[in-house]
Amino acid sequence: MTALLTVKNLKFKRKVRKNWWQKAEKFVIGPINFELNAGETLAIIGDNGSGKSTLANLLAGVVTPSSGQLLLNGQKLRHRNLKQRSLNIRMIFQHSKESLNPALTVGTILDEPLKLNTNLDARERKEKISTTLRQVGLLREHAHFYRHMLSDGQRQRVVLARALILNPQVIVADEPFAALDPSVRSQMVNLLMRLQRELGLSYIFISHNLGIVRHISDRVLVLQNGKVIESGKTDVVFNWPKSDYMKKLLTAHQSLVLSKLLD
Amino acid sequence: MPLLDIKNLTLEIDTAGGRVKALDKVNLTIDESEIRALVGESGSGKSLIVKSIVGAINDSWTLTADRLNWKGSDLLAMSKEQRRKITKDDIAVIFQNPVSSLDPTASLGEQLEENIPDHLVGKGWFWQRQEKRKQIVSRQLHKVGIKNHELCLSSFPHQISDDVCQKFMIAMALVSEPKLLIADEPTMGMETTIKSQILKLLSRLNQNRNLSILFVSHDLLAISSMCHSMTVLYCGQTVESGRMTNLRKRPLHPYTKALLDSAPSFSKDLLPKSNLSALDGTIPTLQHLPIGCRLGPRCPRAQKECVKIPAPRHIHNHYYSCHFPLHRPLK
Repeated sequence: MTALLTVKNLKFKRKVRKNWWQKAEKFVIGPINFELNAGETLAIIGDNGSGKSTLANLLAGVVTPSSGQLLLNGQKLRHRNLKQRSLNIRMIFQHSKESLNPALTVGTILDEPLKLNTNLDARERKEKISTTLRQVGLLREHAHFYRHMLSDGQRQRVVLARALILNPQVIVADEPFAALDPSVRSQMVNLLMRLQRELGLSYIFISHNLGIVRHISDRVLVLQNGKVIESGKTDVVFNWPKSDYMKKLLTAHQSLVLSKLLD
Repeated sequence: MPLLDIKNLTLEIDTAGGRVKALDKVNLTIDESEIRALVGESGSGKSLIVKSIVGAINDSWTLTADRLNWKGSDLLAMSKEQRRKITKDDIAVIFQNPVSSLDPTASLGEQLEENIPDHLVGKGWFWQRQEKRKQIVSRQLHKVGIKNHELCLSSFPHQISDDVCQKFMIAMALVSEPKLLIADEPTMGMETTIKSQILKLLSRLNQNRNLSILFVSHDLLAISSMCHSMTVLYCGQTVESGRMTNLRKRPLHPYTKALLDSAPSFSKDLLPKSNLSALDGTIPTLQHLPIGCRLGPRCPRAQKECVKIPAPRHIHNHYYSCHFPLHRPLK
């Protein structure tokens, strides 16, 4: 059985040069290899600047990889073919507020991907929008709302609805809970897990919060300076970490949980 | 005598829809060399409390309080100069969003040197004073864990990364050797390793220098690891306050329980991918505040009486305001 998403030797290089007589700084990510099965959650953890967000952008097709390939159900994903990609891989950005257009209603925002990627007529699109809104726990009337009329949690739900509306197989979420309050965050975690159970979605999930990573992910990928330094099942990585970085991270987390900061 | 004693602090804001009570009878005390946490979600008025303590409030807001005492002297009754002197010498604030609260037109070195009080520099010729200032600045930066201090001091706020900026804010707050440090979300968006470094730094300062800290945050993991006592705020009302250990072991208010349950790292017996317990709905906006206990519409234990504001009750030092608290027999 082939995995849902296979990433083979994915590499990304960028040279940053401020002045043309200066030596260029190199920024390299990869080679990255992993497989994601249907209904699984893969969490990516790492420092700031370790290339987590770039990896997410590579998967979602925002950035072109330098080499390597992405296979979806054994079929190669071409970078130019955005329609094929957006029907299967969708992304949720970190700041839900900034990623919604303030001048459009929620209904129009959700209508756009349908217009661009499907052949549905106006009535079917409207139907689809209202079912998706109800799926993420909003009402049909929210389609007439603008961005500023919604609360943080509702905005996050709209962003999730935009990701879900094309019935994707993989959702890439870049720190979806970082800006949310604790009680709203638990609601969102529950919602994401319910959708995974019902629709068999796979998530690629980027987060700082080790508690939540441990709770919702099946496998973990640890990045440092663009290289994968550790990967495996969540409980294996969390109980028997191999790399120094992961050990350090876990000790820091444990010391916070057990309140043994200063003894 | 407590260092800071706030009783029934009420802050009213004039909006288009009429006058709104953004803070409703908030009580808060900070003892000497105590770390107190102020917990609440966004929009609960945490930052407003910080602003009212340091007096940085808007002219159109009305602030009333039964007590707003700093070491026994009333902050509201004293003259502007006196109050400013206290806030300058004894209270330091680490603001939210470090990048936007620093001056973008001055280098970080200039901003930090400006904050050094004169008595620390001492007397001498101007070059000696300059030398001394440089020394203090670099020592302070090393203390908060910025290794490359030369580079940091010569750069502008937009040139350095977010977490260095945050550490720099902490250095800037500590350079005047205050008695009370108000840290408004000091570890937001930080990674776990850096976060635990910063928390260790703060708790070491608390032990060595008797620094009192008001730790404003919604990160319960950070709070429970370092704070001695905790005040929980919901929509501008204090719902519960007391010792950290008591609150964690036996929360009396349903909201405190919901907050504690929302951090999955606390519960060991939680199965992976099981549902987390969460309150329904979201925090009401200032224009649509419910009457009585403001948690009412979201509370799982709400009953008819909850439309009246519950009076604060207490068991020893554990204050709570709820008609139907958890773990207590009903009357």
